Amino acid sequence: MPKAARILLALVVLAAAVLLPRVAGPFWLGLVTQMYVFGLLALSVDLLLGHAGLFSLCHASFFAVSAYTTAILQVRHAVPTALAAPAGILAGTILGLVFGLAVRTRGVYFILITIAFGYVVWGVAHRWSSFTGGDNGVTNVPFPALGTLRVESPTEYYYLVLAVLVLCTIGYRVLVASPFGLTLRGIKASETRMRSLGYHSDLHLYVAFVVSAALASLAGVLYVYYNRFVNPVAASFPISVEVALMAIVGGTGTIVGPFIGSGIILGLRNWVSSFFELYASVMGLVFIVVVLWAPDGVVGLVVRLWVRAVKAGTR
Amino acid sequence: MALSAIEVGDLTKDFGGLRAVDRVSLRVAAGERRVLIGPNGAGKTTLFHCITGTLRTSAGRVSLFGRDVTHLPEHRRTALGMGRTFQTSNVFMDLSLLENLVLAIIGTDRRKWVMHRSVGTFEAVRAKAREGLELVALAHRANDAAKFLSYGERRQLELALALNSDPRVLFLDEPCAGLSPSERHSISRMIGELPRDITVLMIEHDMDVALRLADRVTVLHRGRAILEGTPTEVQTNPEVREVYFGHV
Repeated sequence: MPKAARILLALVVLAAAVLLPRVAGPFWLGLVTQMYVFGLLALSVDLLLGHAGLFSLCHASFFAVSAYTTAILQVRHAVPTALAAPAGILAGTILGLVFGLAVRTRGVYFILITIAFGYVVWGVAHRWSSFTGGDNGVTNVPFPALGTLRVESPTEYYYLVLAVLVLCTIGYRVLVASPFGLTLRGIKASETRMRSLGYHSDLHLYVAFVVSAALASLAGVLYVYYNRFVNPVAASFPISVEVALMAIVGGTGTIVGPFIGSGIILGLRNWVSSFFELYASVMGLVFIVVVLWAPDGVVGLVVRLWVRAVKAGTR
Repeated sequence: MALSAIEVGDLTKDFGGLRAVDRVSLRVAAGERRVLIGPNGAGKTTLFHCITGTLRTSAGRVSLFGRDVTHLPEHRRTALGMGRTFQTSNVFMDLSLLENLVLAIIGTDRRKWVMHRSVGTFEAVRAKAREGLELVALAHRANDAAKFLSYGERRQLELALALNSDPRVLFLDEPCAGLSPSERHSISRMIGELPRDITVLMIEHDMDVALRLADRVTVLHRGRAILEGTPTEVQTNPEVREVYFGHV
């Protein structure tokens, strides 16, 4: 697609997002806010999956640790948002500094070790009830407020999430187009070659892991203010799997992909679960269909059909 | 005596019970063109891997311009001036040729850590990458992904990657393997035209290429360096004729 068309498309999508609260009711607005939050989490997973070639299954940990930190500070200690939110991001990022040691392994070992890390965090959230509130979690999280500026309705919060999302997407775009972003794709393509060209590949992957954890933590903060409570489900393994699926279904290595995937998976889940209990098996089928017929996700499929249409047109 | 570019002392590499490289010692002068020959399984590639740090040595020492690098990881050796090609092309298939070269150029400097500017804004790096592609006659394909290159073109790109990491010592592992005679000619001409401030070690099966480019030749056989000499000495040595060309 030519550059002008891309910019135009981005503006149209942005305009639609800005106008959405005028037409959508509270249910739809809530669902779309959720899609944005999980899209951001899927985007953080995709920095590793789509760019560096690492399949992490512990991103729910950063998401949950930051959500819990913010919630506990804000609810129990009455810490204002201006401190509670950054503290949440910081806590998730520090956890990323520790879990990042997983980059010493590759492939299936990396996947297994991240699963194990994820379960540790879930276990803590679940069992250490005196601190985390156990299964009930932390409830009554207020809307965020900055001094006298306070969010007072879901619609206002929707705009706040949208603004953060736009900024993050721009930052992410710069990052993946930077020399550092290129080194990640180089490592994905051939790590042996990267080493022989002078790259300390483990260190690059470690930095990418921490950046990714920071982004996941930001999503965690947005989540807790949207949800108004947090419980161990946020830290659970299915969340880690689901966000990875979002990136894959939407299209890995792209920026819009994780958001499209988030929209599809959350949309489908809401729709299917309204009339069919075994919604998880439907998700499984969707995943199988994507892997078999659209391995590059929805974005890859659209690009492929587009190329075919252009070829047919010029013939 | 002048400082050796590469000095290898009693280098040994075991894979379980198999001794692939057996107490090999080598001394390569700065600027020299050294060719390693030997039958299949002689340990040539393993020796290369150990010198460049791709593999850890089991015993022995490696030094680069007098500096002991035996225990340095591969990327540190590259930063100190080693560059290499692989026997089977090891290029970044999904990246464009230009991106391939950019990675080679920034591999040893701090720009590889920049996160806030797009690669496209580094004009000097891009210009150098284009030059690097011109040198191996691939400039016209700069924006194609490497996976669309022919086998021979990949070998050219492989060489360009090694050259653009600014090596002082270049290790070429069978740069001409599997190429047609004309491609072979053009690659060996490129190697022949390299400036003498780059020291070259090369594994080569093609005797014509090997003997034309080499100042000195080392013969490996069953993991041992059995002979070192000028191309003529090596060619006329009866022992070499026996292990390398078989019984006559």
